[in-house]
Amino acid sequence: MEYLFLSLLLIPFAWICFLGLSFFARINFPENFLSESVKWISIVVSLISLSLAALVLMNRSQPVHFDYPAWIQIGEYEFKIRFLVDLVGATYALLTALLIGIIFRFSRSYLHKEEGYFRFIFLLSALMLGLMLVSFARSLDLIFAGWEMVGTTSVLLIGYFYNQVQPVRHSVKAIISYRFCDMGILAAAAWAHHYMHTTDFTVLPKLLEDPHILEAGHGGPVALTFIGLFVIWASLAKSGQLPFSSWLPAAMEGPTPSSAIFYGALSVHLGPFLLLRFYDYFVHFPLLLWVIGIVGGLSAIYASAVGRTRSDAKTMLAYATISQVGIIWIEIALGFTQFALFHMVAHASLRTWQFLRCSSLIQDFFENPVVQQNEKIHRNLSFEKFVSKPMRRRIFIHALHGFHLDFFTQKVLDIFSWPLKVYIEFEKKWMSMNNNVVKFILKKR
Amino acid sequence: MSQAQDTLSFEAILERIRKKLPIQNPLHSFVHNNILMMFEGQEFHDALSEAGKLYRANSYWSIEKYKAQFQQKKITEKDIIDGIDQYSLHYHDSSTAQKLGLSLKDFYYRLTFSEMAFNDDDIQPEIHDLNLWDKCAEKMSGQSLKLNQGAIKYRAKEYWEKYYNESISSTTHPYIINLISSFLDQGQSFWANPYSEKGFWDFFCQDVDIVQNFGADWQKILGQKLQAFKGHTPQEIIESELSMMNIPREAWESYLLDVLFDLKGWSGMVNKLETEPWQATVKAPNIKLIDFIASLVLIESSLDDFHASAHSTDLAMIYGRQEETTLRGFQLSLALYQITKEFKLDSSWLDGLDASELVLIIKDIDAAEKEHHVRLWHEAFESHFYREAMSAIISHDRGHATFLNPQAQVLFCIDDREESIRRHLEEVNPLIKTFGVVGFFGIDMKFSSVKHKRLIAQCPPVIQASRIVREISRDTKKGQSFTRFNHLLGGSDLSLYYMSRTLFRGFLSTLVLGVLSIFPMFLQVFFPNQSKGFREKFKRLLSPAPATEMDILQTTEGQGYTKIEMAKIVEAILGMCGIKTEFAKLVFLMGHGSSSNNNPFKQAYGCGACGGNAGLPNSRAFAKMVNDKEVRSHLAEAGILIPDETYFVAGFHDTCTDEVQFFDLEVMPEGYEEDFERIKGDLNKACKLNAFERCQRFSSVEAKEDPDIALKHVRERAEDLAQPRPEYGHSNNALAIVGLRDMTKGLFLNRRSFLLTYDWKIDPEGEILKQVVLGGVPVAVNINMDYYFSCVDNDKYGCGSKLPLNLTSLLGVMTGSSSDLRIGLARQMIEIHEPIRNMTIVEAPLERVKKIFDGHPRLKNILYNHWMRLAVFDPEAQIWYMFKEHAFQQIAVEKSMIKHFKSSKDLVHLSVTDNDFAEID
Repeated sequence: MEYLFLSLLLIPFAWICFLGLSFFARINFPENFLSESVKWISIVVSLISLSLAALVLMNRSQPVHFDYPAWIQIGEYEFKIRFLVDLVGATYALLTALLIGIIFRFSRSYLHKEEGYFRFIFLLSALMLGLMLVSFARSLDLIFAGWEMVGTTSVLLIGYFYNQVQPVRHSVKAIISYRFCDMGILAAAAWAHHYMHTTDFTVLPKLLEDPHILEAGHGGPVALTFIGLFVIWASLAKSGQLPFSSWLPAAMEGPTPSSAIFYGALSVHLGPFLLLRFYDYFVHFPLLLWVIGIVGGLSAIYASAVGRTRSDAKTMLAYATISQVGIIWIEIALGFTQFALFHMVAHASLRTWQFLRCSSLIQDFFENPVVQQNEKIHRNLSFEKFVSKPMRRRIFIHALHGFHLDFFTQKVLDIFSWPLKVYIEFEKKWMSMNNNVVKFILKKR
Repeated sequence: MSQAQDTLSFEAILERIRKKLPIQNPLHSFVHNNILMMFEGQEFHDALSEAGKLYRANSYWSIEKYKAQFQQKKITEKDIIDGIDQYSLHYHDSSTAQKLGLSLKDFYYRLTFSEMAFNDDDIQPEIHDLNLWDKCAEKMSGQSLKLNQGAIKYRAKEYWEKYYNESISSTTHPYIINLISSFLDQGQSFWANPYSEKGFWDFFCQDVDIVQNFGADWQKILGQKLQAFKGHTPQEIIESELSMMNIPREAWESYLLDVLFDLKGWSGMVNKLETEPWQATVKAPNIKLIDFIASLVLIESSLDDFHASAHSTDLAMIYGRQEETTLRGFQLSLALYQITKEFKLDSSWLDGLDASELVLIIKDIDAAEKEHHVRLWHEAFESHFYREAMSAIISHDRGHATFLNPQAQVLFCIDDREESIRRHLEEVNPLIKTFGVVGFFGIDMKFSSVKHKRLIAQCPPVIQASRIVREISRDTKKGQSFTRFNHLLGGSDLSLYYMSRTLFRGFLSTLVLGVLSIFPMFLQVFFPNQSKGFREKFKRLLSPAPATEMDILQTTEGQGYTKIEMAKIVEAILGMCGIKTEFAKLVFLMGHGSSSNNNPFKQAYGCGACGGNAGLPNSRAFAKMVNDKEVRSHLAEAGILIPDETYFVAGFHDTCTDEVQFFDLEVMPEGYEEDFERIKGDLNKACKLNAFERCQRFSSVEAKEDPDIALKHVRERAEDLAQPRPEYGHSNNALAIVGLRDMTKGLFLNRRSFLLTYDWKIDPEGEILKQVVLGGVPVAVNINMDYYFSCVDNDKYGCGSKLPLNLTSLLGVMTGSSSDLRIGLARQMIEIHEPIRNMTIVEAPLERVKKIFDGHPRLKNILYNHWMRLAVFDPEAQIWYMFKEHAFQQIAVEKSMIKHFKSSKDLVHLSVTDNDFAEID
């Protein structure tokens, strides 16, 4: 079993190193070589993760721990390389392997003759490694490594067409949201190290059972709650939950398969995945479960309201994804963790499929016998029926503009950026004053 | 005075604006059009210059590309001279040339090979000839030249972009795109826009009213402006805004066009849905172009106000500013040096001229370089192809075409993609005769199938479909249950589409469908061919498709045809083929279409003569007509004697999968099976070879070697979800040949030519020729021009790469999450195309051709303004004529050493891209 899961990490790692080194050696691989290689890699990785998942199931869901020597040691601190193979991780790894395999095959014809084919393959491979790392990591420190790889590849693929303005602009939007929430992981890790001397999420809940830990000397309930809040904060951006929902629809700038794999399937579900990892910890703090449930619920309602006004295929799917992920958050908050895992898998597959097929819509509609010329397509209203007509029309406009989320975000940012603005004003004045001084001196002469 | 006012009235301006907007249909009814159809009244190159400015596009390949062709000998010295001959017929102002002491043609020749840049700091020539340099410097010292003098810019947009790096495409465009895509939506979103009844202007006002409280600063200004204009009509608002910007009325048109062309796709779509509401996918929304213009103008002026206050700039200085570039002494001396060197002039030419004259010459040459340089290369490039085409046709040996008593006659569409399959079929069985007629077989019908009842026009878009023809089930009961089943299936498809995207129903459907969806996804991505088989088997199992027939007989007004009308239709088509009595036992009618998956541009691959749909219903209807006894007796009166044992079979050729299908075989009388099976076998063999020929352009290595694998490969392409190039469509089309098959039989044309059958011997009046030319040539030119423009500037005239496309409003595609509605063809569709204007070659007496082209307004326009080329081979006099500058001129076409190959298969296998023309023995 150890070899199985290690090979899941090492195969993508070796492949990326190989690609990276050959890039620096200026070797240009023919497209065929790349697509054949990733084909075999994804077959092997899928088979391994399948057997790993089977082993875990046979093991009756007993998680297996793997500890390796510390990587870095500074004083008391050790960066421990610790892995965990359990049902959640193995399932996510299997999902990763299967979906990336499908995407690799899809891209073979889709990105044929494309200049950036190498780049695309490289980034998807890096995504695979990142996700495998997150799936099996047992500590926040290690999760962070995989987490960052996923974030970086995601941003680079949004900006796949980097010679156009909008993709670059939107990838910047994504990276800002990511970075802001990555602080959550770092903060959680720092606080956990400080107060509990570990970030291992299998150990943390056990520590909580020790009554001493809740005493003031060890941080007390407030600090421990904050660790949980930081983890929730970290999960917000990746899964597009409020208030970080507006970057996700804007991220649909890359080639369709990358939108499918990131924003329909694997990257968006990392949020709930992290929550599942910390579920045992959250259980001790009902407040945290409430927060998860409320954030999830609000996001689900918000995204479904906005999503139903969208008229283009991809942002519509993006909002639909956010709303389902919101529901998954609620499920986690309610304690249905296994169900949430199932929901994640089902949702990821469905969205990948819908994203990949999203260019068929015109054909689908036009060949559909129900859709008649000169006849309005019958769409059932649901929630909208409960409000009066003028109100409904107003809500439509608000929903069309995403309930002005960007506007409010800007307002919040303005609060933080006012010192900068004051400084800029000051500098302007300073410069003009100087100018006046210079003029004055010149005049004197 | 009053006339001047008329042309400057708002209505007149709006009318002119409408004419210049893109004309593309919603994608579900995409038809190939000359996207600059409205510019056809101008000479080709002039129109391209004007359109290029509007579309901000290049209207030709880059000069480097032409030069690369020159390096590869695909443009020769002779072609350049030919091109100049052709070009100088129209552009014959020789004043600049004279100043240099050159003849016009010499001037053009030297210009073609020159490399000059007068106002580019990056490209500066090296100075080798110091004497000359001193002379130039001396002459030009103290001189200056103003370029683009008098060009007044009314739009502030470029100013903000240039000096403040503020782009409107990232501030205001996302906002207005959001509104317009929601308003035009035809049913993609779950929540239909509740403002659709009152119209776009109402929606816009309401929206601004709400958004101004939550939006950027310019939106607040917009809100105030709109408040101030309360009660005014959009027209009044536009007029007052434009007057406020101090734009003279003469410049309104160009200003508004410039604003609209920022979002040319959406503007064109708004215009389309207003003027031709029946083109809407479901229902045309209540929108007027003027509403859209008013909103754009208001947004623009609000943004200007905002920028002006943010950057403390005076708007009055920006509106109507003049931006000139001035060349000073040093640059002018460089220019003079370059002219002398590049035009290979002796330095003494400078002596006789004083400085001010020289400055004017520099100005003229700068203009000439910008105007003519790339055009000359383009003309040369085209000349090469035209010359090769004509000499191939006369070098071709017509001997092996004539024989009597063919085993079968097969009628194909005139489509350039059918050229290859006809050639292969004739090679497989030399006793088969093939013909090319318009693929809708003269039947102008709206058609509804048993599967869905919606009426689809099955005729060229220029013709109004006059009749309704339905496909009906032979067994009514089975048909009804089939229709019911399909309705059920369609309904559940549709509700699943909406449901899976909402909250609670989405939750349920995700749980149910989610895990299940991995299986079809897996199948369709990894095994596209098998997955299609599965799907079809499954559907057949649930509800087998009933045997059907075409209900063509007239029952009520507007429904079906009378027998006499049928006879007329048949007579016309058979007349075009030139068949009167010599019918084979079996005559095949091959409609065509193209299947592809996950492809928003599917319509662009269909049969152009059937409005982009598959031509199958037409071939079935036609076969039923001509097999009718009564129709045949009417035909006999007209002199078309179809023997009783002749039977017409309706068939269908899929140009993507290279499959042929036949229909209504259950009513085929006995005694034909053996012949039918034999011809069917031949057709299947031809399909395989055709697939093999097409695969030479694709990248699959195995498919290039083996016809069997090739056939499998093309079928996979059609089913592959991920395939952006199911087929290459009309890529490389450049010819239309009108004449008997003798002219081209055994000649390899590399799928570049439309083939229209016409027998000049049986048509002394030219009536048949008229039908052939009017039915085929405009379609060929439309397709040609669509490919031309998408090819020369794919980003501006076309729609860019297919990879990030995002379907919107069921009308079209955007790039990424929000962009202009894209027009034209995708990069993957045109990547192997060569932009060459269509050349039509007609074999008929000159007078007949002349009469037709002069008698048809559009054809006359495109011919006289060089949107196409026309060559006529007069078979009686054995003389070639070429239409040049308003007249047919006799030309000499030399025979060429044409390569010979044993079969098309050998040829394509050996060298597919090297030969456009070759002889098959």
